[in-house]
Parts: sequence; structure tokens; C-alpha cells
Amino acid sequence: MAEKAILFDTSQCSGCKGCQAACKCWNDLPSPTALNADAPSFTGTYQNPPDLSGVTRLVMTFSEEQGGPKGIKWAFGRRSCQHCGDAPCATICPAGAIFVDEATGLVTTDAARCIGCRFCASACPFDVPRYAGDRGVINKCTGCVDRVANGLAPACVTTCQPGALSFGDRDEMVARAEERAAVLRERGYADAVAYGADEVGGLHVIQVLKYGAAAHGQRPDPAVNPAVQLTQVMKPVTGAVTGLTVAGLAAMFALGAGYKRDRRAYNPATGDTLDVDTREVIKHGDGQDTESVKEHILENLPRRKGGDHE
Amino acid sequence: MTSHWCDFQNADVILHCGSNSAENHPVSAKWLNRAHERGAKWIVVDPRYTRTAELADIYCPIRSGTDIAFYGGLCNYIIEHDLWQHDYVLNYTNASYLLDPDYGFDPATGLYSGFDADSATYSNRSWHYQVESESHWDTAPGGAYAWAAAPGVPAFTPPTVEHPKRDMTLADPLCVWQQFKKHYSRYDLDTVCAICGMDKETLELVYATYAASGAPDKSGTILYALGQTQHTYGAQNTRAMCIVQLLLGNIGMAGGGVNALRGEPNVQGATDMGMMVNEHPAYLKWPNTTDRKSLRDWMESQTYADGYYTNKPKFLVSSLKEWWGEHATADNDYGYDWWPKVHAGGLADTIIPSFEMMEQGKIRGYFNWGMNPANSAPNTANVRQCMSNLDWLVVVDQVATESATFWKAPDMDPASIDTTVFLLPCALIFEKPGLILNSGRWIQYRHQAVEPWDEAKPDYEICDLLWREIRALYEAEGGANPAPVLNAKWDYYVDGKIDPRPVAWALNGYRVDGTDFARAEVDLCSGYGELAADGSTACAMWIYTGFWANSEAPLDPEKQACCRRGHEDPSGLGLYSNWSFSWPSNRRILYNRASADPAGRPWSADKVLVEWTGEAWKTFDQPDFVAAQGGVPVPPNDNAFFMLWEQNARLESYAMEDGPLPEHYEPFESPTDVNPLNGAFSSPCIRFADYPSTKRGTNEEYPIAATTYSVVEHWQTGGQTRMCPALIEAMPTQFIELSPELAAEKGIKAGDKVRVWNNRGSAVVDCVITHRFKPMTVNGKLTHLVGMTHHFGWAGVYATSESMVNDLTPNVGDPNTQVPEYKAFLVDIEKA
Amino acid sequence: MTLSRRGFFKATGAALAATMAYEVTAASPALAVEASGDWKLVNTEEYTNICCYCAGGCGSLCSVRDGELVNLEGDPDHPINEGGLCPKGAAMLQLRNVVDPATGAVSKNADRVTKPLVRRPGAADWEPISWHDAIKEIARKVKETRDATFVEVEDGLTVNRCEGIASLGGSQQNSEEEYLILKMMRSLGLVAIDNQARV
Repeated sequence: MAEKAILFDTSQCSGCKGCQAACKCWNDLPSPTALNADAPSFTGTYQNPPDLSGVTRLVMTFSEEQGGPKGIKWAFGRRSCQHCGDAPCATICPAGAIFVDEATGLVTTDAARCIGCRFCASACPFDVPRYAGDRGVINKCTGCVDRVANGLAPACVTTCQPGALSFGDRDEMVARAEERAAVLRERGYADAVAYGADEVGGLHVIQVLKYGAAAHGQRPDPAVNPAVQLTQVMKPVTGAVTGLTVAGLAAMFALGAGYKRDRRAYNPATGDTLDVDTREVIKHGDGQDTESVKEHILENLPRRKGGDHE
Repeated sequence: MTSHWCDFQNADVILHCGSNSAENHPVSAKWLNRAHERGAKWIVVDPRYTRTAELADIYCPIRSGTDIAFYGGLCNYIIEHDLWQHDYVLNYTNASYLLDPDYGFDPATGLYSGFDADSATYSNRSWHYQVESESHWDTAPGGAYAWAAAPGVPAFTPPTVEHPKRDMTLADPLCVWQQFKKHYSRYDLDTVCAICGMDKETLELVYATYAASGAPDKSGTILYALGQTQHTYGAQNTRAMCIVQLLLGNIGMAGGGVNALRGEPNVQGATDMGMMVNEHPAYLKWPNTTDRKSLRDWMESQTYADGYYTNKPKFLVSSLKEWWGEHATADNDYGYDWWPKVHAGGLADTIIPSFEMMEQGKIRGYFNWGMNPANSAPNTANVRQCMSNLDWLVVVDQVATESATFWKAPDMDPASIDTTVFLLPCALIFEKPGLILNSGRWIQYRHQAVEPWDEAKPDYEICDLLWREIRALYEAEGGANPAPVLNAKWDYYVDGKIDPRPVAWALNGYRVDGTDFARAEVDLCSGYGELAADGSTACAMWIYTGFWANSEAPLDPEKQACCRRGHEDPSGLGLYSNWSFSWPSNRRILYNRASADPAGRPWSADKVLVEWTGEAWKTFDQPDFVAAQGGVPVPPNDNAFFMLWEQNARLESYAMEDGPLPEHYEPFESPTDVNPLNGAFSSPCIRFADYPSTKRGTNEEYPIAATTYSVVEHWQTGGQTRMCPALIEAMPTQFIELSPELAAEKGIKAGDKVRVWNNRGSAVVDCVITHRFKPMTVNGKLTHLVGMTHHFGWAGVYATSESMVNDLTPNVGDPNTQVPEYKAFLVDIEKA
Repeated sequence: MTLSRRGFFKATGAALAATMAYEVTAASPALAVEASGDWKLVNTEEYTNICCYCAGGCGSLCSVRDGELVNLEGDPDHPINEGGLCPKGAAMLQLRNVVDPATGAVSKNADRVTKPLVRRPGAADWEPISWHDAIKEIARKVKETRDATFVEVEDGLTVNRCEGIASLGGSQQNSEEEYLILKMMRSLGLVAIDNQARV
């Protein structure tokens, strides 16, 4: 399969949030079901919920500015994973829970492997991954690689009524975006740009931004935290020996890329997850007994570099 | 809709007025975007900048309730700039018809000829045409109307064909065209801007852009919804659009039409079904106490002298035959008298006055089938009080709606309310099979995917349980005339269980001989041309005939036209004639004869629907005219609108209650004190305004013009969407939108709650402060507009509100349709 | 009536690991995981349906496994929506089932009423009632009200009108149901019949 991308053309978007709802439903993600007193709070704009969260992988953004031929520029934006070519989240993830899907180039997740360290959240140049505290895992767009593997487009793309979202070979999406931005500039949208061809190693969400990048809530020049690059050095080391993942993890604490209190440690060989603070195995992998797993991980856990939180 | 959803892609100009379709009919955006990509110009005229406006090229603000001024100005602009499509208007409309010499309109009073002040109604006598000559039906054997005198056909005197006097030069001062021109000459740009509140430059741009669709090969589409209909002159708004489209030659064209975007999943079906006081299924009229007192009266008052509705007797007798079965005979007028006769005019029983009748104790029992008037009716504060006078209420729904729980409303005292309320749980749409019609008149089929939960049942089963029990009571005990209850044919069973499929046979129509429902043997009709007025055919819904016509497999929906899934599209215009079935006769674009010139040559080579080849009609769509008779092709003529007796469309119409041409009147509650166009101010025919509960407010007390609307994340009263957590999360509340200028004036900041009130009620809602609403200058006065969404109420589990936005809307109605005024009224606001 | 348009759903043949993504881990929220590696639509049957919101008539595909709805999305073959659905349509599954935020379990939508209820005069709340009793009571009330308010002849004209009952609604029902409702109400003599088309 060729490298794939989602194309989001803001000039065809009606801001209907079909994508937002389809994402929730396909992925069985909950929304608040509290009684009215605890109902989700209203943002005072059309942008609801206000941001991504542990249960929300895609939010439509709405920003309003006076001006333009119609008096108002109402820029609809898509806040979700951009599926970077050089995905820092995948680079930094010590557990293999975020990785690049080889078939498509999409940056997908395996929540079962997530140890909840949240380094990905710190590393992301777009502030995308969010921690689902109750589930102890990071939550972000998977690119619906399950759907793609079964011949379908991602859920958000499938449901898009106005045709603002499409899915296909990345080269084609990039070309269409450039072409479309040019048409929009001809039609009087002077700031229209294509976005994503080169950013962060080339994104797999390509966008046509009618009023320019900033207006649609996109970073004009996204950059990766240099700390993430340092972790590249760690990777071969941590990957070399089973269990050393946690050592790498600790090193990253030292680097300050992310320090979280309720962190988890993960053993990729056994699939077990351990709570670093309580030292309890909170999830078994392939059926090893608790004690041996504990031992196995703990003996690799450095005592001084943040592993022991004091 | 005169066209259908996929047809929007063929438009050259798109005009949204009174519709926010990208939000409220989201699939429209797909087809509109395609037209836009091909270079179509897109205009949105709306009180606020909507999500649809963001997609469009031109946005023009308008004060809610002033659409006729806007359209009148457009008519004037089209005439002044000679942009109307001459051949179309001359040949396909009544422009050349001469009006009665007494016809007139007086701007000083704002009244047309024929007004009776006491009853606030018009006599339409002077709005008719002058008659050139008369002719009569040939009912003799072998004559064109021999069927009307055949055995078994109810006796009636056929109508006389009155051939109108015409002036094809359009010069006669009494011809429709001259009267029309004169009428709208008052609607100049400055006057329109003063009334509607937009600036002149924008208005001219809109007019020039839209009027360009008057080029014969171009088509423009007007999309409208409740923003046009929910006014005290909503029907005239719709007329105004029709007139504009006729002037520009846009009706019948691919990419044209007058397109009502209907808002409920099967509201098209319910309208077809005539589930309204005065209506009978398939656009026939229900019996009444005036001109439809007897079957003969019905035939004589309803049958058109010419055009396709000369066949109405066939449709009505077939309907009676399906309704009463073997009990309907020629001797008893096919059971006509068992049908109840509605009160004269039919006004007294529509939704708004029905609450007054509850108040008066006349209506004591009430059924709500998936409808929630305690949230959706105008002036809900009044509705709750009126409903508390009911003896009993039956609500069939999937949630406990505000109507089911009106006695629990924050301002009600349950202990003092004696109503017995039943809440019957119904199945969801994917928990039962059945037919549904979309706005493009496509009859589609829903396959049942899963069983209903617990004890929930499909509505058809609930209906059957009730009917059998009621009928059993009358059989056992007698009572007030039991005949209609006992004689109604109710044999819609398969294997002893109620089943929607036999009902589909009834809707489609069948020959009585050769049909036995009990054995599932049905001789189904394949077209409404097969229906007869002599009792030999039975059909509940003549316009649907053909959708379920496979007599070989009557129990198998898959083998019926409504389940077809073909994608063939030889027209290249997205007609998809092999997908499902669209009424009538699988016709996709109504009035398609008008897509070609009087000689049958298509106006546009790219948009060919029908074409006269010189010998026959080549058709991509089912012809909406007489293309052949007895197998012989009928050469082109001017009868492009054969559902009217004139067979020409009406620029001027004598059939409206409140005037033959749309005239601007101010809303019932208006922020301005003047009507620069006429002396009547608001509509002289407004209905229900004298109810004490209506409590008209003035702009001195309530200076802010308000309107209501929906958001894409919710739907109607929220009964369904407030059940869905993803949707509550996407839009957690109802809100008022207001301009930063008004917010500053009132000291309201983002995050504040706002109290909105008038004489009828008060609501506390969240706020969205936005430049998408702008103050406007109306007749020289700075005027603020606000808008409110209305999807919440006290009922439900996940997201509720104690405030009811419809406590604010006035219970007044349009004289033609009695549709309430939800879109223009007055309020004041403050920080809550 | 089942339309297996895309046979490969069944052909994938993977074992059914987790019926609902969260159900298996519901007992221990901290351990909740995605059902990774398991195709959500494995062994499902598809039924086409039509959306229940605006009158667009968008087609939907309901994926059903073991009698339960596991997914609902736009019908890609439908010429109007081509697989698309707006947020309301895309969330139609939630009319039946929702994900509990606390447990991650997929469960029946608690807002839905699935058993008949009655509210007695003066009562402050609902009480349960059987279908049998509800139908009996309603039929009795209909008859009493009809008998008390029926006008058979008015000014010498047969009118057969039941003035004391009104019926509202119809645009939510399927067409066959509309006909049955209309036929029942008109045959009882109702004239105060209206539906969403009026408003």
C-alpha cells in the first residue's frame, strides 16, 4: 500500500462536526452522560468540546474574525493528530504504543501497550495526545488503520458530507491540496495555503487552509522539541535488552521531556505493565506470574534518576 | 422539492433564503459544493452569518420576516433590467391572461380587491381571469371523458372549461404581466434596503448575480426551509420564490426549481398522507361542511376542468374503496359520509387553535405520535396550561418528552393536574421495517436491523393494538355511530400479525378483483393511469402508484421499485432513475417540460431532460406532461404545468387566502413602526392574533427583533439528539446569539447567562457573542437582531434546561397554512 | 433482507475476540484497552436503513452481530450521501447504545423509555403499566370521549365528527404507520389531526 494521507479542505467544510461524532462512535469513545448539573460546559462558541481529551481524538475548531468580502471570516479547523512523517511521539514512546503503520505511514496506537508515561504528549508539536486518566492510557487519533486495512477510509473521512475530507495516496492528496489552494487564491482568498507537505517530515493530514494557517488554528512553523531527538540516541540502547525500556524511560525523565507522577512501566517482551510508584503489576501480558514480572522490571529500574520518585 | 438533492450540482446560481442547509440539511452541502466547484455562484441571504454563509460567495443580511420585500425587489430588478426569460414567461405562465376588470390593489390601504374587514378574509372573485370561451367535457361513449359517465362512477356534473382571454403582446393593462409589473414597481432598491436592513451595494450584487440565471441555458436554484414558511405570510413567501423562478425560467430545469428542504425524516410522507385537518392523502381535500358536503359536491368542486386533475374522481373513489373495502359501494357513495366532515374552512382544528379548544374543555383526549408540542409549539407556556385540562394524553415516543411530562414542568403543580398520561415506548428506525420519503420525493425502504429493546414496539403494532381494542369495544357495546369504526377495512396482516407490507399494497393501489389480502394475493397497479372511478380499483395514495407494483412477489420489498439500487445515470445529471422510486411515476424533476422551449428544444444542451426529436419525445426523466396518447407521440405545446387546469404556471394566483400577489407586510411583532410599501402594516389576514394567550408585544416594550433556528448538532425538541452523548458534548446547551454591540449595550459578557423575555414568557439561556450578527438600520432606525436555538427542555436524562425558548414565540398563524410565526417576534434581554 | 454488500467482512474470518471494545475490561477501568487487532465489523451482517433526522433521505448501513447493532455509518452505495452522515446521523447508534464514561462499557441508552408508563391524575411521578392494561385503558378512554363528544348530524348534514379528541404527529413514522394512524383517527371521526408539516 502506498503512503496514505487525509486531505482536509477547509473551503469545503461546513463545520458540521460529523467527523467528530463519527470518531466517537467508531472508536467507542464515551462522552459525558452526567445529569444536567454536571453536563459538559458550554464554550460560548460553536467549538464543543473545547479541546481534545482522553476521550476525544478530534475536535472541530471555530475562529471568527471580521473582514473579507463577506464581512466575516469564520475559519473552521481540524484539531487532531497530523500523522507526522517524523513522528516525535512514536520516536519517544518507550513502549511501542505509538508507532508508524508501515502500510500507510499513519501514526497509530496500540493502547494495550501504553504505559501512561505521557512523553508523547510532551513531544508532540501539535499538542495532540491526551491522557485518559481513568484508563491509564494516552488517547489520540489512530488514523483508523483498522478501517484502512479493511478497505475503508477513516471514519471521519467516510462520514464527511460536504466532501471536505478525503483519503488517498499521499502524493495525490498533496497535489490536490496545492491545486485547490491556488484555485482559492484566484477566487479572492489571498491567504489560502496548502499545509502539511513538508512540516515535521511531511504530515499525513494535508490541509487546504482558506484563510491561512494561523486562522484555522494550525502552527505556521511546527517544530519538534530537541529533547525528542536526544531520545533517538537512547532508543538503540533501550531496545537492545529486554526490560531496558524502563531505563530509557528514566533517562527521559532526566531530560525533562516529561515527568508524570502516576507513570507506568512496560515490558515489551512480556506485555506487562507496572505502576512505577506502587511497584504493582497492574496489567499482565502473556501470563507470567506476578512476582517474576515484578522482579524482571524492577531490577532494571534505576534507583536514582527519577525512577524512584521521592 | 421540485427537484431532488443530487440535482443541486447542476445549478449555475444558488440562493439560500430562509434556509441554513449546510447545518440543517447537511447532505445538501455535498451537492452544493459540487456546483460551486464547477463555478456556480452561491448567495446566502440570512439574518446572521451561518455555517452555510461561510461556504457561499456572497452573504447578504436581512431582517427576519422581510423576505417578500426582498423578492419583490428582485422581481422589480429583473423587469427593470429586462432579465426575465421572455419565451418561458409568455408561453408557460399566465402573464398574458387578462384579469377581471374589478381586480385591484390599493397601496394606501394595503388591500386587494374583495376584502371583507369583518371576517378579515378576501373574496377571490375579482382575482380570476376573463373568459374568452367555454367548452365542455365529452362524456359520450368514445369521448375523451367517457369514463365520467360509466357505470359505478358517482354522478356529478363535469366542470366547464373556461378558456381565459389572453393578450400575447402583454400590453393590455389588465393582463397579469402589466398588473404584476405595476405591483412590484414600488419595490425599488432603496425601499427594500430600508425595510430589510441590508446595504444597497450588497443587495444589488445579490440581485444581479441571481438574475443572471434568467439566461435561457442557465439555471438557478432557491433553497428554502422554515425561515420562509414560519411567518404569518409564509405561504406568500413561497409564492414569491415561485414567481421569481418563473420569471427567470428556472422551474423544470435541472439545477433549478423551488426547493423546500423538508426538516423531518418522513414529513414528505406525512404531507403526502394528508395528516392535516383539511387534507386527504395525495393532495386531495378532506370532506367538509361547505363545498365538500357530499361525494357529488366533492367531485364538482374539486375536479379540474382541464389538465391532469380532471382525474380526481378516480383517485378519490379508489381511496374510498381502499378505506372501506367491501362496505364501499356505488349505492352508498363509497362510504363518503362515514368520513368525518371538517368544520368550514378547517381552521379551527389545526395545532394552534387545538390548544384553545383544550382550554375550553372541548378537546379532552390527545394523541402525540412522536411529536412534542409542549416543546415545539409556539407559546409553550400556554400549551402546558392548556394540556393540563386534558382528561387523557397518549404519547408514543422513545423518550419521556416535555409533552409526556408537561405536568412535571418547573412551573406546573402535578397535584392540581388531573390528566392521565400514557407513555408508550416505540421502536427506533432500525428496529422496524418500512417506507420513508425524502424531500426529493424518493420512496425508500428501511430494513429492520435489530429487535426493539425490552417492550418497545413499532408504531404500526401500537396502532393495531389500539384499533383492535377500540373496535372490539364498539362491537360489544355499540356507542356513538359505530358504523365508521366497524366498517373501516383493517386487514393488514401477514400470518396473523400486523405487517407494513399489506399497507404498502394499499398505498400503491390494486385491482379489487383478483386481490385477497388474507391470502397475500394482490393484483397491484403499475401506474395511476390504471385507477378508475367505478370502484374497480382501490388505492390510498394515487401519487405513489408503481412503487410497489410487483404482484409476483408482493411480500418481498426487495423485488419492488422502492428497493432498487441501480446507479445508472444516462442523463449525466444525477437523476438516478433506477434508485428507489420517486413519486409521481418515478419523476425526478417536476415540471420538466419547462426545461425545453415551446418547440421542445432543451434550453440548455448540457441539461437535457426531455427533447422533441421532430417525431417523438426523447426523455431522460419521466415526462411531466402528455408526451404520448394511446401510443402516439404528442407534439410540443404550451401545457408545461399540467397539474393546473390552465396548464400554465401562475404569476398571479386566485388560490391564495391573503392576496393574488405577495405583498410585504410587517411581522406580527415588528421592531419598526412603518411599512413604506403600504398602509396595512401587518397582514390583514393574520390568524389567531386575537387570542388572549397571544399577548402581542410592542417595540416600545420589547425593542429587539428575535428569531429562532436549529444547529446541526441537534434536532427539533432534542428528544433524540439529547439522548446521544456525542451530540450533547458537541453542543451542550441552547443559546442566544447576539452582536458585540448589543452585548456591550446590555453589559453581557462571554460566559454570562442571558435572560430573554416578552409578554408570553421568559427564558434563561447561554450566549454566543458574535460579529455574525450585526445591528442593522431599519427604516432609518438602528435595530438589534438576536437569534436563539431551541432544542432543550426539562425532560430527559442527559442534558436538560428549565427554560423553554418556545415560551417566547407567538401563537399566530399564516392564513393559508396556519403555520406559526417562529421566525420574527420581539423580546428584550438582560444579563441573567 | 440482509444485504451483505461487502463479503469480505465475513471473509476476514478472524475470531471474534471482543464484542464491544470495552466490555471485556469493564470490571477494571484502569485496565481498559482497545480491542486492538480485532476488526470491529468481523462477522457482521449489514442492513440498509434511512436516517431519522432531516428529509435528506441519507442511506445508512447497520452492522449487526449476534442480533446487536455494533456499528452504523453511511451507506457508501447511496447516491445521495455516498457514505456520508452528519453528526446526528453518525451518532444514530447512540439512540440505542452508549459508552459509559465511568466503565467504558457499552450499554443501553438510559434515556430511552422501553416499557409502558402511566401517570395517574394528581400524581407526581410515573408508574409502570403493562401493555395489556395500557391498551385496555386507552381504548376505554377513547370510546368514552368519542361517545361523549360525537356529532353525527349537524344542521341536517351527516358529519360523523368526534370533536373531543385530537391527534398530533406523523412525520416521524414510516409511511405505512402514517396511513394506519390516519385511518384509525379519521375512522373514529377526528378532525383535529395535524403533524410536523404544519410547523
